[in-house]
Amino acid sequence: MQLSLVMHDWRLLERIVGLTNRLGCAYTSLSVKPSDAYYHATIDFVGPPDALRRLDAQLTRLLNDEKEMSR
Amino acid sequence: MSQLAESTGAQLVLDILADEGVEVVFGYPGGAIMPLYDAMFSHPIEHILTRHEAAAAFAAGGYARSSGRVGVCMATSGPGATNLVTGILDAQMDSIPMVAITGQVRSELMGTDGFQEADVTSIMGPVTKRAVCVRRVEDLERILRAAFRVARGPRPGPVLVDIPNDILKAKCPKMDHFAPHPVPIASERPHDVAIDAAIQLLRGAERPVAIVGGGARSANAVHIFREFVAMFDLPYAATINGLGCAAPGDPNFLGMLGMHGWKAANISVNNADVIFALGMRFDDRVTGKPDKFARNAKIVHADIDASEFNKIIPVEIALRGDLRATLGSLVRRAAQSQPPRFTSWAAEARALGGPLPADRAPAGAMSATSVLDAFFAVAPPDVIVATDVGQHQMWAAQRQRAIHPRNFVTSAGLGSMGFGLPAAIGAQMANADRTVVAICGDGGFQMSLPEMATLRRYDIGVKILLIDNQRLGMVRQWQELFYDKRYSHTDLSDNPDFAAIAMGYRIPAQSISDEADLPAALATFLATPGPAMLHCACYAAENVWPLIPPGATVHDAMNGSASEPEPAIA
Ligand SMILES: Cc1ncc(C[n+]2csc(CCOP(=O)(O)OP(=O)(O)O)c2C)c(N)n1
Repeated sequence: MQLSLVMHDWRLLERIVGLTNRLGCAYTSLSVKPSDAYYHATIDFVGPPDALRRLDAQLTRLLNDEKEMSR
Repeated sequence: MSQLAESTGAQLVLDILADEGVEVVFGYPGGAIMPLYDAMFSHPIEHILTRHEAAAAFAAGGYARSSGRVGVCMATSGPGATNLVTGILDAQMDSIPMVAITGQVRSELMGTDGFQEADVTSIMGPVTKRAVCVRRVEDLERILRAAFRVARGPRPGPVLVDIPNDILKAKCPKMDHFAPHPVPIASERPHDVAIDAAIQLLRGAERPVAIVGGGARSANAVHIFREFVAMFDLPYAATINGLGCAAPGDPNFLGMLGMHGWKAANISVNNADVIFALGMRFDDRVTGKPDKFARNAKIVHADIDASEFNKIIPVEIALRGDLRATLGSLVRRAAQSQPPRFTSWAAEARALGGPLPADRAPAGAMSATSVLDAFFAVAPPDVIVATDVGQHQMWAAQRQRAIHPRNFVTSAGLGSMGFGLPAAIGAQMANADRTVVAICGDGGFQMSLPEMATLRRYDIGVKILLIDNQRLGMVRQWQELFYDKRYSHTDLSDNPDFAAIAMGYRIPAQSISDEADLPAALATFLATPGPAMLHCACYAAENVWPLIPPGATVHDAMNGSASEPEPAIA
């Protein structure tokens, strides 16, 4: 599963890695590029389909909270 | 901001808290956060000094749970901050709005293993919605305002703001404006197509059941929930966080669901063909083995948080949105044509139940369930009960008569011992004129026992109902049932004299061990002005029934019978 994520705070990566590990998934490639006030992360996740689905949903929630915190 | 008047970061923090509507904070001072405490010395915000930071976080949680307002706690760097972790995670697990503020070492010391330095945002990240360190005083107001917004919702939870000592001391312009609040939160609601599909499912149902959870409390949806279930004569159960959602005396309320839930609730949910899961998240204490949970049911799941859909149990229809708005739509659209009524099924569901099985105690010993039965029979209808964690918590949850979910305060998702007394302190601070009772076990009470000093100092009128079975009862019960009666380290028979300790804190206390003394003791206890303790020496081997063993199903429910206590060590 490849996800393109927009982070306002690059430190959010720590939470993403922690969550990935907690859900029994891993990542095989990760790149982060700054652009204007954001960071674009492209991450390839691997793991059981159910866990990947949960990870996707929880990352969406995490990114929403982070976006609101950065406002 | 006006450039005319000068302030400091610390002063600004307090001004923002006041502007966000905060009237009281719970905390404990220390080196890094001293500038904030110094500013507090002459600030109108009330500060409650707890005797441990964990209690400050639990108290902020109790305040928020019982009022719906954001609870605020604060602590110094390093050990102060790490002591907050459990109470913050407790808020995260039960979606409780909280802002935690920690002092941090000076910016130039960060990363040097300075005295009392801890990587607080990394520690707190996984236990909060967001944990942020303020690196420039210019960012302080923006971050704190955002912390309150994010803590409030859409799904509430804790946010941590870590502030280095130099930022608290830094000069900055004085706040000369006020936030336009309360900030209206747009109530997101599901699309009418999904609402209609859910109603359609209900129309075709034969054995529908609703399950209400803590989401109804967060969304202030209790009133509309009652309207929704009444409209269809729909039987319903509640998770532990949904207790109090039922209209008082409503016969269609089948009781608490889950491991120690009522039989009627568990069996009806298990046999249902349609389930409306409203603001609940299918915790394993509720579902047991997920693949055996309500196997024939089509599930409509309403929640504000999309990540809850299909997380544990596959659902037929997901209704994402504010629960109050969702239920409003369901009621409105169902009323457009004759709503179905499930009166005879509701009667059938009720009949599946029966009285709660209880061990009671042998002659001469006092039973904890008798104490709780007697207590709930005489407690004022609007009493706020805060429980600790263990058997007494489950017995209380089974018997409580809360008229609103904010009146039953309990550490549900985290199940953290030590919660009861400080949470009751927070609840009493938010509800000065109500009776607030902390129901504690002898184990958990000893984790927060010094908070009796907090009660005394501020004359906080919390009543402590101490169920002392001289055991870590819940663990003892599992040892009896699942670990071959090997009672490893659960004996507390050398407990101290709790009433004497309470009196040492100048808190009036009674101690009883005979059920005959209960009525008079409870009357005195509840009538005592200010804080009070009623210590109940109870039978050691009373168990909580029913019990669905972990990972099992409702068919495996154990109803037990009284057992003999093991020999005590003392
Ligand atoms: C902080 C914490 N530590 C350990 C536990 C595990 N635990 C759950 S219930 C329980 C026993 C509680 O004993 P007590 O407070 O006396 O209450 P009782 O079960 O006897 O009513 C324990 C140790 C916990 N829930 N929280």
